[in-house]
Amino acid sequence: MTSFGILTGMWMLAAGWQAGGDSMAKELEEVARVATVMVDGDLCQRIVTPRALQYMLKVDPKDQWLGSDNFDVNQEAYIRTKKTLIRLGRLVSFPCDVNLWMPLGSEPPKIQILIRNSNEMSQFWPWGALSQEMIPAMKKVLESGQQVTVREKPGWISVLAPVWNSLGEVVALVEVVSQRQRDPRENVK
Amino acid sequence: MRQLVWLAWMGGLVMGAGLEGLPEYLRPDPFGGVVRVDGGGPGSFRNSIELAGARGGYVSFHLVVKMPEGGAYTLSLVCPGADLYREWFHFTEAGKSYYPDALIPVRAPYQSRLPEPDNRVEKQTAQAFWVDIWIGPDARPGVLEGQATLEAGGTRSVLPIRVKVLPAVIPEEDVVTMDHNSYGSSWIPERYQSDAFFARIHAHHRIFYEHRGVYHQLGYGHGGKVGPEFAPELEGAGRGKRVSSWSLFDRHYGPLLDGSAFAGTRRGARPIPFVYLPINPEWPASFLWWGEPGYEVEFVNVVSEMERHFREKGWTRTHFELFFNHKKRYKAFPWDGDETRFPEDNRYFVEYARLLKKAMPAQTPVRFVFRADVSWMMEQQFKELAGVINFWVCGGTEFGWYDYAPRMLKQRGDIVWFYGGTPPVTQVSSAITTNPLRAWMWGVDGYVHWQTVAPGRDPWFHFDGGGTALVYPGDRFGIQGPIASLRLKVERNAVQDITLLDSFKSKRPLEGLKAEAARRYNGAKPQDWWTPRPSLADLPSYEWTNTSIDEAPKPNQRLFARLEAAAFEKVHRFVMELAGEGK
Repeated sequence: MTSFGILTGMWMLAAGWQAGGDSMAKELEEVARVATVMVDGDLCQRIVTPRALQYMLKVDPKDQWLGSDNFDVNQEAYIRTKKTLIRLGRLVSFPCDVNLWMPLGSEPPKIQILIRNSNEMSQFWPWGALSQEMIPAMKKVLESGQQVTVREKPGWISVLAPVWNSLGEVVALVEVVSQRQRDPRENVK
Repeated sequence: MRQLVWLAWMGGLVMGAGLEGLPEYLRPDPFGGVVRVDGGGPGSFRNSIELAGARGGYVSFHLVVKMPEGGAYTLSLVCPGADLYREWFHFTEAGKSYYPDALIPVRAPYQSRLPEPDNRVEKQTAQAFWVDIWIGPDARPGVLEGQATLEAGGTRSVLPIRVKVLPAVIPEEDVVTMDHNSYGSSWIPERYQSDAFFARIHAHHRIFYEHRGVYHQLGYGHGGKVGPEFAPELEGAGRGKRVSSWSLFDRHYGPLLDGSAFAGTRRGARPIPFVYLPINPEWPASFLWWGEPGYEVEFVNVVSEMERHFREKGWTRTHFELFFNHKKRYKAFPWDGDETRFPEDNRYFVEYARLLKKAMPAQTPVRFVFRADVSWMMEQQFKELAGVINFWVCGGTEFGWYDYAPRMLKQRGDIVWFYGGTPPVTQVSSAITTNPLRAWMWGVDGYVHWQTVAPGRDPWFHFDGGGTALVYPGDRFGIQGPIASLRLKVERNAVQDITLLDSFKSKRPLEGLKAEAARRYNGAKPQDWWTPRPSLADLPSYEWTNTSIDEAPKPNQRLFARLEAAAFEKVHRFVMELAGEGK
């Protein structure tokens, strides 16, 4: 194959990926739009127990697992929300997870993934993190109430969409996420 | 079985270049000495060795080639049943020292030079080899003789080897199961789902089996994602959910469950005794239906199909484990399946036991067990989940507070293991023998090393100590599979001894055997292997912290803090004395 042929082939692959990616992004954005309506922000606010929230913000140099060991949830709120997220993930024909993220109300601002799903996909969650530094794209969603599409990792698309409570506040966000090529072994551990 | 009786008349201090021997509990360093933590001095080396062992087991020792000036050498070993391994010297970042651990199988005669080119130890003057001698169960009692020969620089050194084969036979079934755990398959380098991929998985099972152990590989993530090779393929939903293909599952597990993966091993072809199932809150039933009729239908129908498949295949000698590994902190499910901390989570175990029971036909010959790995609230779970959980894997620290528990659980017919870490190479060589001996002292069935196949990014030149590894990838030595560690060999030899020791309970009171073994090991009493129950144990478990557990009194810890390298060797001698009485 000539250099021209190789370049043409690469361009066609990239163009094909872009086209596929655009169609995938469009579907994910639609799911995210529905999620903003369907996910109940008041219910989300009741998921983590007050005790667990307290421990998440505590630092004990002698016990690095203090926050994790005391992480606990109100089961009814958790299960109802998770079921909604699972249903939302089924709106598309390809593997998709809808993850719930919530800010911790800490200073400096932190955020936690609160509900993950069975494909174990996320563009932002470092495996095992109880909470993490606020992610700029998520901060933007929380502050503006606008949906944001993120393609930071090659082959990944995450659409971040706001979750509102009954007071009209953005209290959480969903990450509607998929991957062009899934690794069947990733996060199986 | 090995007994190193260092003959004074043949021994004495050996100086200069040559071939020398060391007992298995003294690990050589690459400069002609013994690793500091094992405490042996120059006088530990001998120029002949004499061992004794029971049948159906191994005897082992170190051969050490010493060449202060370096250069080429040839090592020969002539001894029936002998396997030779070159010991890799790992440089540990923390202590800036060398420890031998990975054992590279080599054929005798072995030709190389010092410094060993691939190990790249500057100013290396000694190369160590591990020797295993297999004594088959049908071997004739008597004396087995062999010799090792070093040829270097025009000189020849000979090390005579004598093995006294005792009439006693080590029972085939170990009295304690040493389990070696791992997670997923992302660490396997072969092309996913290729024959070579499955061959490496089977090779891991085989190497642990050959070392009188068991291997576990968890096949799902904390969010319920199942590795396709760990589960049958499913299709449909609700009443229509069913197994659509057993193809990958059978390629993975078939040879393990019918025992054919172990054909040609010295212990013979046998099915694996334990295996994780892929069942989790999201598989086979979707969590979407939790609490609804659909969850029960999907769970019961698929698990029933599994039972039928296993039965039709004749896979009836393995314990199939319903086991939940997920934790809330990993943010996918609202309850802790592993190391449950909050009492309200127990109800999930009760529900899954009900579903499992519903999926099983009466009198099934397939052995499904419900396993729980417990720590914080094990004492409460022992009571509340009696008849629900029948396979307990207990955190070693907390379990040590409850000396009444083994008897109570065993009387119910439950299987009881405990779990913890793996002693790194930087600890004294005998540290790896403590947990198998503790399992026997406690009267439980086994011990789980929680992770055993993760030797770190560069175990060869920047080693993290091996606290999560008991095997290494053999690829850099042309072996497409795992190679054993020295610690795994020492663990195996301990399990042999403990199994044989336990068999003497038909002639002597078990408590007396335990008392003498404890005394010889570290001067303790069997009760010293337990920790007096701390006042902390009376508080609700969710009020405990790691700090409060660490700070709880452990008056007996001092007995284990400065273990001698020869601690288990003393137990071994006791076992050999008893084996000798049986003649």
